[in-house]
Amino acid sequence: MHHDKKFAVVNPSKMCQPMGAVQALLGVKNTMPLIHGSQGCSTYMRFQLIRHFREPIEVASTSMNEKTVIYGGEFNLMKALKNITEKQSPDMIVVTSSCLTETIGDDMAGIIEKFKDANLDNELPVIIPVSTPSYVESHVEGYNRTIKALVEHLATPSVPNGKINIITGNISPADCKQVKDLLYQLNCDSIILTDTSENLDAPLTEETLSLYNEGTSIEEIEDTANSLGTISLSKHVDSAAIFLEKKFGVKSISGPLPLGFENTDQFVTSVCELGDLEIPESVEKDRGRLLDAMVDAHSYNFHRKVAIFGDPDFVSGMTRFTSELGMIPSVVCTGTESERFTEDVKLISKEKGINPVILAGGDLFDMHQAIKKAGADILIGNAYGASTAKEENIPLLRVGFPIFDRLGAQRISVLGYKGSIEFVDKITNTLLDFYYDEAGYEIVDEKTEEILREEGDEGFEEDFMSKEEI
Amino acid sequence: MPYKLFDVDKEIPERKKHTYVKHCSDPEECMPHCNTTTIPGSMSERGCAFAGAKGVITGALKDVVHVVHSPVGCTFYAGGTKRYPTSPNMPDGSKFPIENFNLKYVCGTDLMESDVVFGGMKKLKQSIIEAAQEFPEANAIYAYATCTTGLIGDDMDAVAKELTTELGIDILAFNAPGFAGPSQSKGHHIANHTLFDRLVGTKEPPTTTPYDIGLIGEYNIDGDLWILESYFKEMGIRILSRFTGDACHDELCFMHRAKLNLVRCQRSATYIADLIKEKYDVPYINVDFFSTKYCAENLRTIGKYFGLEEEADKVIADRMAKVTPELEFYKKKLTGKKVYIFSGGPKSWHLAIPLENELGMEVTAVASQFEHEDGYVKMKNRTREGTLIVDDPNSMELEEMITKDKPDLILAGIKEKYMAHKLGVPSIMIHSYENGPYIGFEGFVNLAKDMYSNIYNPVWNMIDFEENPAPEETEIDVESGETPENEAKVSK
Ligand code: SF4
Repeated sequence: MHHDKKFAVVNPSKMCQPMGAVQALLGVKNTMPLIHGSQGCSTYMRFQLIRHFREPIEVASTSMNEKTVIYGGEFNLMKALKNITEKQSPDMIVVTSSCLTETIGDDMAGIIEKFKDANLDNELPVIIPVSTPSYVESHVEGYNRTIKALVEHLATPSVPNGKINIITGNISPADCKQVKDLLYQLNCDSIILTDTSENLDAPLTEETLSLYNEGTSIEEIEDTANSLGTISLSKHVDSAAIFLEKKFGVKSISGPLPLGFENTDQFVTSVCELGDLEIPESVEKDRGRLLDAMVDAHSYNFHRKVAIFGDPDFVSGMTRFTSELGMIPSVVCTGTESERFTEDVKLISKEKGINPVILAGGDLFDMHQAIKKAGADILIGNAYGASTAKEENIPLLRVGFPIFDRLGAQRISVLGYKGSIEFVDKITNTLLDFYYDEAGYEIVDEKTEEILREEGDEGFEEDFMSKEEI
Repeated sequence: MPYKLFDVDKEIPERKKHTYVKHCSDPEECMPHCNTTTIPGSMSERGCAFAGAKGVITGALKDVVHVVHSPVGCTFYAGGTKRYPTSPNMPDGSKFPIENFNLKYVCGTDLMESDVVFGGMKKLKQSIIEAAQEFPEANAIYAYATCTTGLIGDDMDAVAKELTTELGIDILAFNAPGFAGPSQSKGHHIANHTLFDRLVGTKEPPTTTPYDIGLIGEYNIDGDLWILESYFKEMGIRILSRFTGDACHDELCFMHRAKLNLVRCQRSATYIADLIKEKYDVPYINVDFFSTKYCAENLRTIGKYFGLEEEADKVIADRMAKVTPELEFYKKKLTGKKVYIFSGGPKSWHLAIPLENELGMEVTAVASQFEHEDGYVKMKNRTREGTLIVDDPNSMELEEMITKDKPDLILAGIKEKYMAHKLGVPSIMIHSYENGPYIGFEGFVNLAKDMYSNIYNPVWNMIDFEENPAPEETEIDVESGETPENEAKVSK
């Protein structure tokens, strides 16, 4: 039974701004994210990040408590800056606010200045504050603001570098690698904001650094003012690009996420136009391989209903891609309220002749109700979709964040021609596993019904429980 | 000096008093400083009071809807994070219709800027009403303050009171905002008091027996409670109320009718046992069921209390016959292995002696995120000379310990796990387990088995760090093909 909810959120499909900030900072070299707030937030975030990436991840906190809440956070912030500076000597500390410190109205920039004044004789890291109140928008905006703050504080014009800035948004390390690889093939020099490809998918060494020695460096961020242009893969994280365009005349292109055939074409076109580059044969070949994979898969995917949830640009990109595959997106849901998202999906719907239920600012409970009505043969999204998939007896194809109940979240890729090929194979094989018999023939409906009647929902087990506590 | 300053803490000398090296001759008061505010920027692993209330105490209940009064973050992070399964069984014999309801849903008020400015009471009220409509099967609704709502001063108790009358089910407000107290421990405390004040004594159980107990501080992590329940059942003892693993809301309301309370997690739940004792005169005993020895001892104590000694002995004998051969195998394999126990609270002292005595391991470091003095006294008493006892540790300190001391295994949380892996050391999740349950006789075998299979995995032999070649302890028995089952057969 579903009543139209106006106030409550049930099983949210968005996170708060500081989480987006941390996600952005995990791709910056030698940098420590510091959340100015109570310690619960950083612990919860580390918990989500670590169980997703299965890598050691550090997020510092100013550990505010009831006493410091009354007197303001100056003491705690100064103390944290001192301890991190001395103990870890990072190149940069990025201080993000939280709902707590925004509510008490701490002046982070002022406190940071005070800290600098008190330490004139010491060598200090670059310290940048970002305002990321949790009660405004979502983690996507936190990511956006953080990249903007980095660029605002650091970008410095000097000589043109002939590079293209790429703002990735929250994508997997493997996708970051796909994008870098594609740029390399295109012979395009780039600055990646931010480059998580090594930090969050690190080889086993005897080291476990609390700071990452790979990723985007301060120098690279400074150099973004001298690039040919900026491409924001996600339209929702383009504030830094717009800033660079206005202030330094660096051309900005927003989206789309290079997910699937048409979107990757568009990305390649943007890169080639900005950099005055030719498309090499190797890229043409990958493009051809993607088409080949789509053709090989077409008879299995055709007219399968798909429900998709996650970050806005991922969902709209996936809506287009699954439509390209001949599938029918039936429910598309993002936790972030966004007109851009709704417009995008409407445009795709018109172009592709589909009519999905669009939930912008929806939660997973809404999504589940919508799936019950509109139907879906497969669900695409993060691990929090597992119980919905189980209840509806459909497979969940795990893409997005967080994925804590399967291995290899950092290695899931869907971007570029190559990532898209991986995705086509994966979604088709998932459908084959679920709806086809050993010989590759579709299990006819009566039989499916019979199996359902016999087994109840025991036939499809999903481990939606996590194994860890806080 | 019994206190030690880690190299990584050179710049934070305050950390020194939290790190104690046990010396048997030290005076009693020598122990790590604990339960004090966290040092900002020290990379603590502690959680917040809200996490302690919802994440530990109330989240285990099977038939309650939780409404987190917060911006979306706290709500998101509080959902589906802990592994405490629930059964549909209700005390009156009926079945709760949604399986693992507690793991499936979390509601929130999704506060926006205007709510922060003008107050969030209206939204909270509406959200609770809607939650009641969405989940008509729920028997109560619990609402939680968080940092933001604690600060803006929303009177949640008033809302709870008003709606309890209006909706006709219990609505509770938990005022444990994230910034309260030094750690999640404060949240345990507040939740205990709230549940006692609002619920205990408000209902009567459907039936009572002379053998009714309250099992307090057992949260059914990965099925722990169900193991213990099977022992009690065989002894003829009934668990009247669980606090709070696999419990329903009503069970808390008639906790005062137990004949005896057992306090399993003494950090998070002694509060309510004390309150019940004081007001209703129900005695309680502290119990420990980790390992065969503690489990047997405690079952005997409980048996004795109810005059069921023989029944207790029968359970013990039956389980010991089942687990002894396997445990012998694991003891052989684990003897001499160096292990750290980094628990959230009391598991460090629960497990220290069992790992040493029953499995032959060497516990050379123990730590806790939020234990209080009484817990550290036990840690001190139950560890060997030279053991490091660390309060509120962080991963850099753990890294230093691992690099210098080279343990064979660490028992810790997920936040430490992958760091240990990078250093070539296996790690078992001790908060929510790998392949639990870990409690009781069978549970101890599960733990031993997980430790064995983690240490003896051949992958550790393939790691070839330049300066330090693979430690020879991790050799495996490839040729003999030994497994506990084979071994057990042989020993018969
Ligand atoms: S905002 Fe406060 S209550 Fe919420 S997770 Fe952070 S510390 Fe805990």
